[in-house]
Amino acid sequence: MGNLQVKGVKKAFGNLRALDGTTLNVDEKTVTILIGPNGSGKTTLLNVITGFLKPDEGKVLFDQSDITGRSPQEIYEIGIARTFQIPAMFSKLTTLENLLVAAKNHPGESLTKSLVKRLWAKYEKDTIEKASKILDLLGMSEQLDKPASLLSGGQMKLVEIGRALMSDANLYLLDEPVSGVNPTLAHEIFGRILNLREQYGITFLIIEHRLDIALKYVDYVNAMVSGKLIAAGHPKDVINDPRVIEAYLGA
Amino acid sequence: MDISTQIILFSVDLFALFAVYLVIDIGLNIQQGVTGIPNFGILFAVAGGAYITAGLSTRLAIIILGIQTNLNPISDNVSVLQLVNPILHAQPILAVSLFVLFLVIGGAAGAIMGLIASAPAVRLREDYLAITLLAFGEILNVIGAGYTPLVGGPPGVDLPDVLAWAGQYRFYAGSLVLLIVAIAIYVLAGHIIKTPFGRTLRAIRDNEIVARALGKNITRYRTSSIMIGSLFCGIAGSLWALYSGAITPTLARFDWTFLPWLMILIGGMGSNRGTLVGTAIVVTLNKLITYFKYAFVGIVPFNIIWLNYLLLGVMTILILIYRPEGIVRETLPTTKRTTGNNVSKPG
Amino acid sequence: MYLVPFSTIIGWLTYSAFLSLMALGITLLYRTTKVANFAHASFVTIGAYVTYTLTVIFAANPYAGVPVAFVVVGIVGLAVFYSVLEPLRRRNSPTVMLMIATLSLDVLLLGIINIHADYLTNTYSVPSRNILLSGSDFTFLAQPGILFIALGTLAVCTVAIYVLLNFTTLGIALRASMENPQLAEAIGINVSMMLAISWFIGGGLAGIAGALIPLWTEVNPSIGTILLASMFCASIVGGLEQIYGAILGGLLLGLVDVVGTAELASFLGPWVAFYEPVIPLVVLSATLILAPKGLAGIGLRRRR
Repeated sequence: MGNLQVKGVKKAFGNLRALDGTTLNVDEKTVTILIGPNGSGKTTLLNVITGFLKPDEGKVLFDQSDITGRSPQEIYEIGIARTFQIPAMFSKLTTLENLLVAAKNHPGESLTKSLVKRLWAKYEKDTIEKASKILDLLGMSEQLDKPASLLSGGQMKLVEIGRALMSDANLYLLDEPVSGVNPTLAHEIFGRILNLREQYGITFLIIEHRLDIALKYVDYVNAMVSGKLIAAGHPKDVINDPRVIEAYLGA
Repeated sequence: MDISTQIILFSVDLFALFAVYLVIDIGLNIQQGVTGIPNFGILFAVAGGAYITAGLSTRLAIIILGIQTNLNPISDNVSVLQLVNPILHAQPILAVSLFVLFLVIGGAAGAIMGLIASAPAVRLREDYLAITLLAFGEILNVIGAGYTPLVGGPPGVDLPDVLAWAGQYRFYAGSLVLLIVAIAIYVLAGHIIKTPFGRTLRAIRDNEIVARALGKNITRYRTSSIMIGSLFCGIAGSLWALYSGAITPTLARFDWTFLPWLMILIGGMGSNRGTLVGTAIVVTLNKLITYFKYAFVGIVPFNIIWLNYLLLGVMTILILIYRPEGIVRETLPTTKRTTGNNVSKPG
Repeated sequence: MYLVPFSTIIGWLTYSAFLSLMALGITLLYRTTKVANFAHASFVTIGAYVTYTLTVIFAANPYAGVPVAFVVVGIVGLAVFYSVLEPLRRRNSPTVMLMIATLSLDVLLLGIINIHADYLTNTYSVPSRNILLSGSDFTFLAQPGILFIALGTLAVCTVAIYVLLNFTTLGIALRASMENPQLAEAIGINVSMMLAISWFIGGGLAGIAGALIPLWTEVNPSIGTILLASMFCASIVGGLEQIYGAILGGLLLGLVDVVGTAELASFLGPWVAFYEPVIPLVVLSATLILAPKGLAGIGLRRRR
């Protein structure tokens, strides 16, 4: 559960080929990191996987079934959760509410059912409990009732992660989850990611630049340049790969 | 007429007007303030409620009261009502039941108009959505004036006097009934906003992309929002028609598009309570201006009706520039959390 | 093939000329300030009353209103920009606030127009509602002069705008401000002034259109309000990318409206004329569903 396969995906914007035949695999229950210089197509790839962009060519398979071109809503239902590189908050909602919106199949969200509180009171209570726990884990208990617009950049990043955690997804796509977060907390977050992988068998594909922090937590590294995958494998192998070094130094 | 009677009559009418506008503004607020849909075409739903109620009311009254007549309920409207109203006067319960029925019809009409309007509404960007809805809004005036069987063309029709049982206290009763309905809708709307459904609407307003990433069917929510908002507007139209006792197909943009927007703007868009305050302020202000402008006759070389337009137009612009968040210190509706036995402080 | 009566074609072309002039202004203002200008209705009405006022006070030729209205409404546009829209733009006000602003301006201007109309009646003892000046029009080739003047004015304005935007420094700066305001600002263009100029021109165009209206149809203070849906429909149908799309939009809407109504009326009966206001709505809806980019333009939909 949580196995992802990207096969030959191409996506162009006018003359710009953001993804030029990207092929990569993410094995289930692993923590895989995706690195690459700016503009190599990492976020575009995430957008294609999660349905925000339709690829010009290629396929995306999740647990062997074809999810290419499905809508973001469907992707979420299937069990893939993502965060955004620039934290996207529901600015007038509180921190807590930001997480509550992530709940799946909440009976209270239907207009007709919402009128009868009894139909959703329990679900809501459970959801609030779960969200409170997650926020506690992330050290955000004090901010629960704060409007999200008042949070700091780093705090917003944490809310992004918290929101993803609400989804009980099998595959998490995290886009620079710890940028702007202090190192201690960053280590803690990655620690928890590992935990989740151990305990629940969750799969992670993480875009991250801060290799100094992330590297010791990951199982595999994938490196992208100019819309293509140029290296994939164990961390030591990939970061010592001459092509990868050149891409980073040359960039 | 002595001063105290004047004040009482003024107030009674003011409360009725307030009630009607409150229901409209609640409907508008759900769409704009809570969901972020700029519906400049609420006139469509209000007029829908008003005209359809007016058009069907006499017809239904004949059927339900079992009146046998060859007269046409629309073109011979006045004569027919002379048969209908005495019965309503004598049987209050029947009259009230009809009243409720007409409100339901008004609400349904509003919801249908909302459904029609939602087709462009869920597809278009804000600015062109606004124009489209505005254009939709005024079409019912054209149809009402042109299609005589609806409301009798330009002269309009009267409605059965569902408040006839109150006799000489008709307008007092009317005001009270309207207020009761308005408060009930206010409470209902407040509840809806606080539910997970309302929370999702607010989330869509704040960030549609993330809402989509979290599995929410944006189209469905927007449509629901427009429909419930329009349902309320339809009820308001119905209330207005029933209270006035007569309807002509001339609901104007100033009264039913511009003013509601001013009201939710002043109240701070989004908060139900703000809507209440905003409505109260503008309705009172507007009525005061209307009432006292006769003091200016002769002093100014023009028809002082236009003073309303100038004053309120300028006022809106000033608020937009200097206090766009509204006059009311907005309390955002939020989900409260309870931890164990403690109820946390309101957000 | 069924032949459309010549008079209907004349009606179509005249109406289209008006629609195009009005839509030109709307599209221009939308391109520069990103706001749909509800107040355009009143701009047009002011133009109409400028013409009428000149004939009343100065016994002028009705066509004299055109240049005067251009200036007057142009100034109104400037005033509107500097007093309301620029402050809001500086505050980065959301679109919906700008829309409420233009709606309020329309209300305000409508009040002023009515006041002026009342003033005319009271001071000069002339009617100020239901005005029609077509009786003072000249005829040429057995057609009312307004046909030629309207089309001619549209042609002149189009050429003038084209020349301005493509061959003058000002025009190029204006276009830069439309395409990419941040970049324009960065290279030293005074974007604020460019926007102001566009409001002068946009207002002026509305004024010109309005100034000619009394020679074609009955004028009331509500004439702008009545035409609002049509002028926006023409603008949207034409598409928003190219300002010249407005001309196509005007032609198309005019065709469907005038010729369409006439044809339907001859088949179904004169009652059809009552529902004529429905036509712009139908055309608008059809455009948005079938060809949301307009006849030549950028997407209006939320998702591209």
